[in-house]
Amino acid sequence: MFSYEQGERLAEVFNRWQVEYLFIGKSGAIFYGYPETTQDADIFPNKSPESGAKLIGALRELGYELTPEIEGDLIAGKDFVQLRNGPFDLDLVFAPDGIETFAEAKSRAVIIDHRFPIASLDDIIASKRAANRRKDRESLPRLEAFRDYLRKHNLNALPRNPA
Amino acid sequence: MNDTLQEQHEWEKEFEAAARRSLRERMRYAFIHTYKPVLDDAPYRAFDTMAQYRQWCKENLPEFLGYGD
Repeated sequence: MFSYEQGERLAEVFNRWQVEYLFIGKSGAIFYGYPETTQDADIFPNKSPESGAKLIGALRELGYELTPEIEGDLIAGKDFVQLRNGPFDLDLVFAPDGIETFAEAKSRAVIIDHRFPIASLDDIIASKRAANRRKDRESLPRLEAFRDYLRKHNLNALPRNPA
Repeated sequence: MNDTLQEQHEWEKEFEAAARRSLRERMRYAFIHTYKPVLDDAPYRAFDTMAQYRQWCKENLPEFLGYGD
């Protein structure tokens, strides 16, 4: 499971290693307040050999067991890396469907709680629409309704009441 | 009220309920461990392209997980 505290830790470590990234997918939507369940955190890292090296350092510090094979894949820039060998399940999506570039997604992203960079809800929706899996098609109407709810109430995200 | 409107109304009530919780609480309820056969059975996987990942999902994951077409 992925907790708020683990999110804080990830943000702190990624920032220190200067990893450029965005939360994306359902886990990203959850940061906006979308009431849904998921198992893993989906991260959209900027893809480059230099970013890959920083990402390796950050993931090691977070407690992921990175073999030479995994490190090679992170440097080589695979489009999708799934890690189940650390403190929480992590999907690294380097080339999410429906999003042209990291820079464009970053320009539309929202920082939540002053520390969590989240892809825009429009990008999360576009990505799910482009992926077009059955589970994406089933989730889209409710996710779009959530985006419309935020717009109707002039919110970037649901209010973040104190814990 | 037709089914679609009823559904929209129920979703809105869920969003309003979520708005009364803190982000910390929302995350506690949102991230749950549900074992996904095959998908969770390896500590690590990597795919050169998203198309290869989608194809692997179609060919290897149980249909009920919804990763296929």
